[in-house]
Amino acid sequence: MLLLLAALPALFWDGAADTAAALHDAGIKQILVPKERLAAWKSVSGITAEAADLEGATKLLAPTVNYRMNEASATNAPWLVANGWRFIRRPAARYYYDVTGKQAALAAAEASSYGANAMIRTDAAGLKPLAEMLDFLRTIPGESLPPVVDIGYIDDGSGISGEVMNLLVRSNLLFQLVPAPDKRLKLNVKLGDKEYPLADAKNPGTVAHSVRSNLTDEKRSLRIYGSQVVVGRLTGSGAHARLHLLNYAGVNRKVDGIRLRVLGQYPKHQVWLADGAGPELLDYTVDSGATEFTLPELKTYAVVDLSR
Amino acid sequence: MQFATAAPLLGSPAGEPVYRVVSAYKPSAQPGMPGPYPGQVVRVHSENSIDPGTEKVNRELVKQMLASGMKTLTGDARAEDAWARFISPKDVVGIKVNCSGAPRICSSPEVVAGIAENLIAVGVPAKQIYVYERFDNQLQSVGYPKYLPEGVNIHAVETSRQSILGYDPKTYVETSFFGEDDTRSNVVRLVSETLTKIVNVPNLKEHQASGVTGCLKNIAYGNYSNVARSHNFEKTNTLSFIGTLAAAEPVRSRVVLNIMDGLRGVWHAGPFSVMAKFRFYPKQLMFGTDPVAMDHKLIELIEQKREAEGAVSIFNRSMSHVGRDNSNPNTNHFIREPGHVEYASKLGLGVFDSAKIKLKVTEL
Repeated sequence: MLLLLAALPALFWDGAADTAAALHDAGIKQILVPKERLAAWKSVSGITAEAADLEGATKLLAPTVNYRMNEASATNAPWLVANGWRFIRRPAARYYYDVTGKQAALAAAEASSYGANAMIRTDAAGLKPLAEMLDFLRTIPGESLPPVVDIGYIDDGSGISGEVMNLLVRSNLLFQLVPAPDKRLKLNVKLGDKEYPLADAKNPGTVAHSVRSNLTDEKRSLRIYGSQVVVGRLTGSGAHARLHLLNYAGVNRKVDGIRLRVLGQYPKHQVWLADGAGPELLDYTVDSGATEFTLPELKTYAVVDLSR
Repeated sequence: MQFATAAPLLGSPAGEPVYRVVSAYKPSAQPGMPGPYPGQVVRVHSENSIDPGTEKVNRELVKQMLASGMKTLTGDARAEDAWARFISPKDVVGIKVNCSGAPRICSSPEVVAGIAENLIAVGVPAKQIYVYERFDNQLQSVGYPKYLPEGVNIHAVETSRQSILGYDPKTYVETSFFGEDDTRSNVVRLVSETLTKIVNVPNLKEHQASGVTGCLKNIAYGNYSNVARSHNFEKTNTLSFIGTLAAAEPVRSRVVLNIMDGLRGVWHAGPFSVMAKFRFYPKQLMFGTDPVAMDHKLIELIEQKREAEGAVSIFNRSMSHVGRDNSNPNTNHFIREPGHVEYASKLGLGVFDSAKIKLKVTEL
């Protein structure tokens, strides 16, 4: 069975080999280490080490949610710190996270869901959550389905364009980068066009809202109801789709139920849920245009396979 | 399916909300609202029903007030006959309480227990009665169980805040107010899947957003998920949202009776009652099947009280009265929308025209 292993993120550990006990205790079996420590780690049994360095890798933000309770804002939505747009902009790049505690697990899930080449540096408290997440990721059968996209986005590579992409990801507006408008897609977006003036892009949320309005909710391949802190990534082709669900607040709080709507008819399903037994999807419906279901609980990460 | 509109939901956030009602539930032959007594309101006042000093409620007087109100509303000589007009032994009955200001102000347990006792008296088994509210912590803070007949269920929709599992995913009102991504407000699952009748027990309160929170607000915002999204900065969409939610099936058909608990009241900074100086004691219960007529009377009461206290009208829309410090009775978080009551009348939920409302007042 093809597993996700090839795309799995890995722990970058710059501790000496005498810290191996902590890694063993956490359940870590594979690590990346600075090349000067490789020889020492090669002599440690039960842990496979390879040399790596962070130089040249792009540092990612620690995935989380800022609730901004005391800030006046045009929206009540919490601010999600997510890296999906970076993976979409540079899918072949090398990345690393510098995260602590349970954030290591969320970071691993985020990188894995995008198939990103990412290293995770973490502290002692992050080892066990990371090991558990990596073990979980190994249980998910691999897929090489293309992303499901509604929107073609012409990225000029600017910072403001990146922020718009960030907002699109966080708003679950599914896009891919295109060099020029692609008529096969439901909508094409280029900053600076009449529909998306650069002046609006100073507030990327305004652009994201315009994109959503022009696409219309009915045409969105993915809708998420019941949570403002969950981001989905949908891949699929023909009779099969895979939905990755990331709870950006998962370090502190699980989500008690989210309702998902995926365009297309998928009467069959299978679920993998990190940090818990695989739950049954509730209130599963398939109508002429869409499949809907409720995931009763989401701690950090879940994968839902849908098929005909 | 019931679709109120097919217009695009996501237009300009500044525009009037466009609603799409999705429900497979059909209206009953005679929907509960406005029910058999449109335009009729019964008020029962009893000076000794509550002691403002101790907050102690006279349970025996409350029982008498309930009996008097029901008999006056229906014209029946016996309270049992009055209740039997609305409820049969086969019904599964929800008592929709209001605990948003609990424990300081809420549907009084003495009133709720009295209603449950009357339901049992007409043959409804206790296990077929549900006292329910959306939020568990608010519901728990009241302590209903020690007042209620044994076997009556207590049901919180959200045992953990923001959980959607207690809501019906197939029955909802969809709209976008401010561009929020979650555009659905789903009806409470207990309401759609279990209850056959609902007795609505709101309080007598001013509300910072909707102007007043009475029958309509309690049955609307109290029976759906994801409703707080209707407010942002000083703007609130309660004007049209409350009536739209209340008019959607199965809510409209199943709410057969409204008993407004006005033993206590709040005339400012509602629906909470953090500041005791804004609490007052009307010492009354109101009865009716028409939530619009009853809420019109509520507006009048709140306006009278505010005028007596030197506070601006809840209809005042000046931004000069909008601010964060609502310890000042002339400052409010939102531009209030008491017009939601009249709006609901246009949806067929009841009679708003004062000239057509008949108020019967009883003194005990």
